[in-house]
Amino acid sequence: MSAQTKHEEDKLVALASIAAELYSVMSIAWGVSLAAKNAKVISAQAGENGLGFQPITVFIDEISQLAMQGVNDINNEALRLTKIAVSQQRSVDAYLRFNSVRTHHTDKRYIKSMTPAMERVEENMKHMTKEFKKSLNNLTMYLEIMDEHMLSARAVASVSRIVTSNAKEYKDKLKVVADSLEEATVLIKEKISDSYIHLNSVKAQSDF
Amino acid sequence: MKATILYEQGHQWIMYGRDVEKPEKIIDTNQYMMVSGNRALLMDPGGIEVFAPMLGAILHHAKVDQITDLFASHQDPDIISSLGLWDQALPHATLHAPWLWEGFLRHFGMENIQYDAIPDEGSSISIGSVDIQFIPAHYLHASGNYHVYDPKAKILMSGDVGAALEPIDAPLFVDSFDEHIPKMKMFHQRWMPSNRAKNDWIKRVRQLDIEYMAPQHGRIFKGDDVKRFLDWFEGLEVGVAIK
Repeated sequence: MSAQTKHEEDKLVALASIAAELYSVMSIAWGVSLAAKNAKVISAQAGENGLGFQPITVFIDEISQLAMQGVNDINNEALRLTKIAVSQQRSVDAYLRFNSVRTHHTDKRYIKSMTPAMERVEENMKHMTKEFKKSLNNLTMYLEIMDEHMLSARAVASVSRIVTSNAKEYKDKLKVVADSLEEATVLIKEKISDSYIHLNSVKAQSDF
Repeated sequence: MKATILYEQGHQWIMYGRDVEKPEKIIDTNQYMMVSGNRALLMDPGGIEVFAPMLGAILHHAKVDQITDLFASHQDPDIISSLGLWDQALPHATLHAPWLWEGFLRHFGMENIQYDAIPDEGSSISIGSVDIQFIPAHYLHASGNYHVYDPKAKILMSGDVGAALEPIDAPLFVDSFDEHIPKMKMFHQRWMPSNRAKNDWIKRVRQLDIEYMAPQHGRIFKGDDVKRFLDWFEGLEVGVAIK
């Protein structure tokens, strides 16, 4: 029983870690959004020289908004998964204790009256496993979406560098925005990569 | 888990405890069950660690679906931390417990069992053919606290009042009151916080006809030892941690 219980604890820790990894993304994405708004102002000041950069600032802002939305989705799903995992743990604990009664008290007059309770807990465990898999798939999907957003963000960062070269005296200011987008993308990708490690750990334990 | 029938005349009272297989550092507890007809009331069913031996012992006297009612005198883990497990075993049961502790007790996990919040003045219920009274025992030791009185069997399940800290092989009944005093003195002086609450409870309990006073730890008081306990408790200064 203790190995199984420990196992469930690890799953809970891994799920909490995903939420924690992604939480920091929120502030990074918020920073990028502010930089994009700032870039809008700079490109407006740059007049014709900043024309090429203006639509890019819209993309950057959109990507940062999508990243923040993605973090919310991932956090909500991780929380749902944690709740399911706790219910699963409770059901497993109850099942093991019920089973211990069934195994060690075979001589008791009313031992058979345990059967409906055991069947109910077994049914609940099956239901929870199904819900857990469903939620785990959702979480995987949200991480993949976030990953795709970051690919787009990298592409936008590369285009930004080319466009800023035409922005003359505003070149340096706009380059800072492109750099901050690039840095944010790298950081967020790292967080997503770490989240995948936690997620794989949860998946491996769920196959236990 | 040892089971002892305390009363058997139309309905039954059974005491469960003295579990030699319990983990060493866990305090030993007495659990009680009253069975009347096709219903049973399980009182202070115990902590998570005693759930399996407790359920195993119960199945000698009642079917699982016969346990329709649970009672928790207060919120302590040794009283009711097994609630989350009973919740899965007895989804249609009702838990009778202090109104004050509902939000706290639900932390043990209660998704199915119904909560019957006992009001401050106490209440009564019928289990089969037996009328059971929930007697207020506030601040003895919890701020919302009740005992169970069965006027037919003349049994008072007295929670932590009358409790003693003893080895696992201690006898079930007090055999010499004077020798028993040292085993319960510190417990009452330290765990019971209020002399006023104590005296209020004694006044109320003196009006009851009691043959057995059955605490949640230690030995059961029988016959004249019940009165001896009340007299001794009345003279005892409690709440001694405040110098």
